[in-house]
Amino acid sequence: MSEPLLVFDHASLAYGRTTAVEDVHGAVLSGQSVALIGPNGAGKSTLLRSVLGLVDVVAGRIEVLGTTPVRARREVAYVPQVDTLDAQFPVSVRQVVLMGRYRDVGWLRRPSPRDRAIADEALDAVGLAARREDRFGMLSGGQQQRVLLARAIAQQPRLLLLDEPFNGVDAVSQQALLAALRRLRDGGAAVVVSTHDLALAHLACDEVCLLNKHQVAFGPTDETLTPHLLRAAYGGQALELAGDNVIVAR
Amino acid sequence: MRYLIEPFGSPFMQRALAEALLLGAVAAVVSVFVVLRRLAFVSDVLTHTVFPGVVIGFVVAGTGGIVWGALVFAVLSAVLITVLAARSRVTEDASMAIVLTGFFAVGVVLVSRQTSFTSDLTAFLFGRILTVDRQQLVMTAVLGAAVLLLLGLLGKELLFRAFDPAGAEARGYRVLVLDLVLNLAVALVVVAAVRAVGTVLVIALLVVPGAAGRLLSDRLAGIALVAVGTALLAGWLGLVASWQASVNHELRLASGATVVLVLVLLYGAAAGIAALRKVRT
Repeated sequence: MSEPLLVFDHASLAYGRTTAVEDVHGAVLSGQSVALIGPNGAGKSTLLRSVLGLVDVVAGRIEVLGTTPVRARREVAYVPQVDTLDAQFPVSVRQVVLMGRYRDVGWLRRPSPRDRAIADEALDAVGLAARREDRFGMLSGGQQQRVLLARAIAQQPRLLLLDEPFNGVDAVSQQALLAALRRLRDGGAAVVVSTHDLALAHLACDEVCLLNKHQVAFGPTDETLTPHLLRAAYGGQALELAGDNVIVAR
Repeated sequence: MRYLIEPFGSPFMQRALAEALLLGAVAAVVSVFVVLRRLAFVSDVLTHTVFPGVVIGFVVAGTGGIVWGALVFAVLSAVLITVLAARSRVTEDASMAIVLTGFFAVGVVLVSRQTSFTSDLTAFLFGRILTVDRQQLVMTAVLGAAVLLLLGLLGKELLFRAFDPAGAEARGYRVLVLDLVLNLAVALVVVAAVRAVGTVLVIALLVVPGAAGRLLSDRLAGIALVAVGTALLAGWLGLVASWQASVNHELRLASGATVVLVLVLLYGAAAGIAALRKVRT
């Protein structure tokens, strides 16, 4: 059950000549979930993209599902931030989820009844089966995020990457997202979530990777989300209130 | 009804109608993607960058060379524009405008060396749909088939990329290649349209049908249906209008431009319907 699906071996990442993240070292096991935490510009999105093979690894190594990021891409799902998408785009909820099947459908062909069944099942898993004929843009932000998660589920991934999935998401959608992620992990998939929300990281993740252009800490949630380490990651933006309570300014 | 059918008694009008319908249908399908990807300006650039190819083809090999010259420049400019859009140092619209005017000027300079400067220029820019011959019809059909094949092969993927480029990239699709395919499809439509409606007016065929479809439908299938319907209707009614005007009212209307005018009027009607719908709900 607990084979490592994702291994960072002192990996440094760069866009062209600009180094974005340095020296990330750690592993994510099957069934585990890891939160990527750090201030804006800390390199959270870059780290997620590197797992997809879209960023150059300039030092060290990243191993995904026992191979290179590019080779593993078929079994890695990525959930982008909803607000990067055009809400006016004329696609139905179901069409969006079906996009998760396109790679398996292949060129020229249309999604088969089996692909549709998988897509509908994935929509059901995020509690939106009833909305499948609606236009994607008509849903609330939280619901749209759930649809994108359903698209990732339809891909039947072993590793799931989510970029700020809880931003501006209402309580109902947050619960639905967490429940769906739980089920994926029970099925043996690993989950990596970038988030600003420390409380949610506590709630939903076993491990935390604290980032600020380099790795500040990588370890069990309780041992990582400490005032000392958070201050190290956020600098002056972190404020200690009393004892263990920390407020982080965005 | 007779009024709408009687213009097509002669073979040249029949060929013009066939060309208008063929071109309209293919361009309408492409226009759906143009509107989804907001590529109206890029399409405009492509229509102008094909122009020097038209002139060079004509200078080198006469009328028969036009399509080939256009084809070469279509492929070249599709590649150039795809790369510029992805890796431009200045803003994308500025580099596009430079390419547009630069290529266009080359075309004008070359055509200005011809003795029949004005009439040639007019023909290249605005086309002559009434002089379309059988060979040109076949060429349009072949190019149209190539475009539809491209879109059929990669339609899903182009949709994915249009909706969510980051997601498509994460899925392992090469966004640059998909962009090239769509730009190529646009460029091929321009090539197919060169003789009939010219390089300038074809932009209407590449934008207006999809835009009208978007006004009337939120569904991809609905948009495509409205787009193709609008383009076919405009081709037919435009030819009828220009024929009736010149035969019965002694008013000479350029046929290609009339088709485009009807197309824009239909878009206006679609906008009216959309506005009415909004008021009702």
